[in-house]
Amino acid sequence: MARNLNISQCVAEALRLEMERDDTVVVLGEDVGRQGGVFGATRGLHKIFGENRVVDTPISETAITGMGVGLALDGYRPVLEIMFVDFIGVCLDQVYNAIAKNHYMSGGRVRMPIVIKTAGGAVGSGAQHSQCLWGLFAHLPGLKVVAPSNPYDAKGLMASAVESDDPVVYIEHKGLLLSRSEDFTFGYDVPESRYTVPIGQAAVIRPGNHLTLATLSGTVLPSFAAANELAAEGIDVEVIDLRSVVPLDTDTVAASVAKTGRLLIVDEDYASFGLSGELLTRVLESGVSMSAFSRHAVPDVPIPGALSLEQAVVPNQSSIMDAIREVVARP
Amino acid sequence: MTTLRERFGYMMWMREFELACLEGVPTREIHGELHTAVGQEAIGAGMAGFLRADDALTSTHRNHLHAIAKGVDMRAMLAEIFEKETGLCGGFGGHMHLFDQSLKFSATGIVGAGVPVAVGHALAARMRGSDAVSVAVIGDGAVNTGAFHEAMNFAGVHQLSLVVLVENNEWAISVPFEKASATPTVAERAPAWAALGVRVDGTDVEAVADGFGAAVERARRGGGPSLVEATCYRFRGHFEGDADTYRTEKEKEARRAHDPLEITAQTLIDRGEASADEIAERRETISAAMADMLRSVRADKQPSPDQAMRHVFVEVA
Repeated sequence: MARNLNISQCVAEALRLEMERDDTVVVLGEDVGRQGGVFGATRGLHKIFGENRVVDTPISETAITGMGVGLALDGYRPVLEIMFVDFIGVCLDQVYNAIAKNHYMSGGRVRMPIVIKTAGGAVGSGAQHSQCLWGLFAHLPGLKVVAPSNPYDAKGLMASAVESDDPVVYIEHKGLLLSRSEDFTFGYDVPESRYTVPIGQAAVIRPGNHLTLATLSGTVLPSFAAANELAAEGIDVEVIDLRSVVPLDTDTVAASVAKTGRLLIVDEDYASFGLSGELLTRVLESGVSMSAFSRHAVPDVPIPGALSLEQAVVPNQSSIMDAIREVVARP
Repeated sequence: MTTLRERFGYMMWMREFELACLEGVPTREIHGELHTAVGQEAIGAGMAGFLRADDALTSTHRNHLHAIAKGVDMRAMLAEIFEKETGLCGGFGGHMHLFDQSLKFSATGIVGAGVPVAVGHALAARMRGSDAVSVAVIGDGAVNTGAFHEAMNFAGVHQLSLVVLVENNEWAISVPFEKASATPTVAERAPAWAALGVRVDGTDVEAVADGFGAAVERARRGGGPSLVEATCYRFRGHFEGDADTYRTEKEKEARRAHDPLEITAQTLIDRGEASADEIAERRETISAAMADMLRSVRADKQPSPDQAMRHVFVEVA
């Protein structure tokens, strides 16, 4: 019988296990201590490990990320919580000028084993609290970028992120954080003990022959549901959960496209200059032939406030089904 | 205890080091920006001797003297600045981005960005129960950044063992300090962050050593953060190639006449601790040693172009 955990509990459990096995793992952020995180993803840690290792900070994101650099230079493995990914703008300097570059600029002499743990995704909070932004991080060399879609991966990818000697941006989806194992038909069985999910390996969630649908994070579940519904129409969709943006597992996608001949990329991030264009380019560069391809991403517009407007721009099960039908219908 | 003679030795090495760097600009051996601290040697030399290997030091785009004060290998620094594979960072960093992990020394080219990093080191020391001290050296331009405020505030809240040394050379590129700061001094801001504020004459190496040394000592015994402002003047442009028309020739001439090396030499002579001849001879020796080092560095190779993609990640898939 699988435990009925929500994803934030899975993240907190992963952090607890990492902190138990490695004294150098520390957590810093706003409300991560006494409150256990505004989404509950650091729950219990303050009580177990104390305020020396689970540090409630002022609302000072630049100080949080900058201190992460200093802690990493001093032998620690800091997990930095930036509450909403949208807040990264106030501290991006430390992220892309120090965390991402120090290993390179030092000629490999300095390591930045830092996790930036942050929440993205649209859940009705408007333009400044709804973005995904993994494409932004992925554009900046030196950052690994993961965005899990289910409880099992949430725990295993966090373990890998903390264990990694490279900086990892770990983007939770706010819509998933409170989802429970029972809401999932994949990745719902979360062992109590420690395990890792390797960063950079996509997972085929549903095998299919007519179309490859590649996505990640909050749009995996609706894509999976869309594929199951379309099976009744005779459309057989292979659903791939990319799990990470950097490294991007082009091989798994290209191998699938070699079988299906069609590719649809579903992305809750902005369409232009991002994951969808990059993945498509890499699949094309791999030499695999396709009869049709398309992307379904947030058009280049801020996330609106009203639900009617939000639904018009953020991919959902119904819009994903339309996108699948459109690509499959092409000659 | 570092003597004045020893500090003067540091000052001469620091001046000669910067002069050696300048030689790489017209030859394009240094093909990008170079920021030297000629004229600010009393601060670098005043820092020397107080920091242990396990004390952290974060520095700025104008970082050479701070690195020397921390004990970073000068040849490796010079080679990095001259873009050689033998450099401190293998040629991947360049002069603004020096890292020496063994001495917990790092520099950043982003104004103000070193302060939160130093606070991270201070937090690390607190976490491990060490009496290691963390120092951030910044310029006066950095004190108006958000990073500075956020970091000072955190250090104040937790009374961390932090010393922020501000080299106030009065000019943030072309903007004078009085047009950039709401307060006439940096030091007077310290109470806002429950820190000790100290202002010293940064052209007086003993005054710097007294102020900085006391702040380090205070931090080491758990007395909390300090903000030490050292007033000085940058003798050259912000970077090599800066037309520097924002400062009048009259001002520059007058301020350059107040050369910390000459002031310190005179003090040594006045106190009978050294003769003019002895000082000139010593300067000659250091100058020759620096020339040898430069000659040797120039013979080194640049890193091979096929190395350019290395070191983006530790773990490559």
